[in-house]
Amino acid sequence: MNAIYSSRKRTNLIIRALCFGAAAFGLSFLGLILFTLFWNGLAGLGLSVFTQMTPPPGSNSGGLANALAGSLVITIIGVAIGAPLGMLAGTYLAEYGRHEKLTTVIRFINDILLSAPSIVIGLFVYVAIVLPMGGFSGFAGSLALAVIVIPVVVRTTEDMLLLVPNPLREAAAALGMPRSLVIKRVAYRAARAGLITGILLATARVAGETAPLLFTALNNQFWNLDMTGTVANLPVTINNFVQSPYEFWRQLAWTGALIITLSVLALNIVARVLGRERNTQ
Amino acid sequence: MTMVSVSSDNFQPVATDSPVKVDIRNLDFFYGDSRALKNINLGLAPNRVTAFIGPSGCGKSTLLRVLNRMYDLYPNQRAAGEVLLDGRNILDPQVDINLLRARVGMVFQKPTPFPMTIYDNISFGIKLYEKLPKSELDDRVETALKGAALWKEVKDKLGASGLSLSGGQQQRLCIARTVAIRPEVILFDEPCSALDPISTAKIEELIDELKTQYTIAIVTHNMQQAARVSDFTAFMYLGDLIEFGETSHMFTSPEKRETQDYITGRFG
Repeated sequence: MNAIYSSRKRTNLIIRALCFGAAAFGLSFLGLILFTLFWNGLAGLGLSVFTQMTPPPGSNSGGLANALAGSLVITIIGVAIGAPLGMLAGTYLAEYGRHEKLTTVIRFINDILLSAPSIVIGLFVYVAIVLPMGGFSGFAGSLALAVIVIPVVVRTTEDMLLLVPNPLREAAAALGMPRSLVIKRVAYRAARAGLITGILLATARVAGETAPLLFTALNNQFWNLDMTGTVANLPVTINNFVQSPYEFWRQLAWTGALIITLSVLALNIVARVLGRERNTQ
Repeated sequence: MTMVSVSSDNFQPVATDSPVKVDIRNLDFFYGDSRALKNINLGLAPNRVTAFIGPSGCGKSTLLRVLNRMYDLYPNQRAAGEVLLDGRNILDPQVDINLLRARVGMVFQKPTPFPMTIYDNISFGIKLYEKLPKSELDDRVETALKGAALWKEVKDKLGASGLSLSGGQQQRLCIARTVAIRPEVILFDEPCSALDPISTAKIEELIDELKTQYTIAIVTHNMQQAARVSDFTAFMYLGDLIEFGETSHMFTSPEKRETQDYITGRFG
């Protein structure tokens, strides 16, 4: 074996070890987080978590029912507002405006929005909605989440539509199909799995957001799904309970964190499975 | 396979003043500032196959994409001159391009089935311009698939995805889809370049049958294919139309030196 080749083999071995080490280091934190959550959260996980309201101070019984329901409603409304807007904007970027200068500008601004700290978005909605409306509301919380959903969905929609081969659009146009139908019936259809995946990932992203809700939906100790008032939600409840002096509250906070993490995990798995279906089509 | 049945047909050579389906006059085409077609003049005879041959980049596909204004999808592409379809200039901005494309169908180089069932692939185009009862729609789909010699292979799985078919079948599905909306002119842009010889033979046979009802233009890189399927051949080079005439004549005694060199494989 000549010298150049053996030194190359040695380098390969070192680099491979470094790559493996880096991957193991990064993944170990994910493992530790999951382990800690299960270790501390599982103990409090029972039926009462889903059926009882958040406990008043000092009480040793209660659950997270109002916070779970509130989170669900706030998230669903937020995604319902943000996803269609994001899809329409992404469609403009990928289809109608593909060759426009404006598209480059919009994409750049969208990327900034994508990485904006979520507490800034919370403050923005606080100033723009909460103050003029005269109080915290679940609806303001949904709007804050929608602002986070929009750039994520814009990005995935554009990327997925750009993956649709152009000859497919030309073939549809060659039948005398108007542009709107080419997009709706052919391009969306070809990119369907990817589009749904994008929305699911955006949902997973906002499901655990705390900062935007602190300034908007606030929290509520009682069952309230009236979106014009403060609405209980899981992230802020966890935030409050984990800082409390009561052992029972801290236990509930761990359990809540476990529930959020498992839901996000489930959403990600569904998105993955859908994504795989697209690739094997 | 129908070999050069062309010359045995009772066709009449097209004189300059005889009726043509598509009349291309003084056509120039630009990609941005670069001129891709230079003053093209020729006519497509009705119910005949006209082949466009020439080396890559000579403008033959560009010319085809003018005939249904496919270039309109892209900015910075522009045609100047006239293309008369039954006497009406289709380059006129007032022409509705969707209605034009319903009259001038196109089959592409790579098969492009839509991500839907075989049945929907065909019925989709029909439903764009006609509202038909289900039974009539079924008939139209069947006729189109038979017309594209695909019916026997797919009649028991019309609900299967168009993407599940083989490459050759997919290309015939695309031809069926084009035929189903009853166009007047069909443009083939290298329809066989992605297919194996058996599928190619089937498509060539099909083109020969289709010309009884349609006016056909085909771009091909394959000299033998041009000789087999076409009645007229246009040889293009660097954006110029070098020679245009009856295929039998072009392939036996071309007028121009360049044509002869290309056909005999000396360049290109």
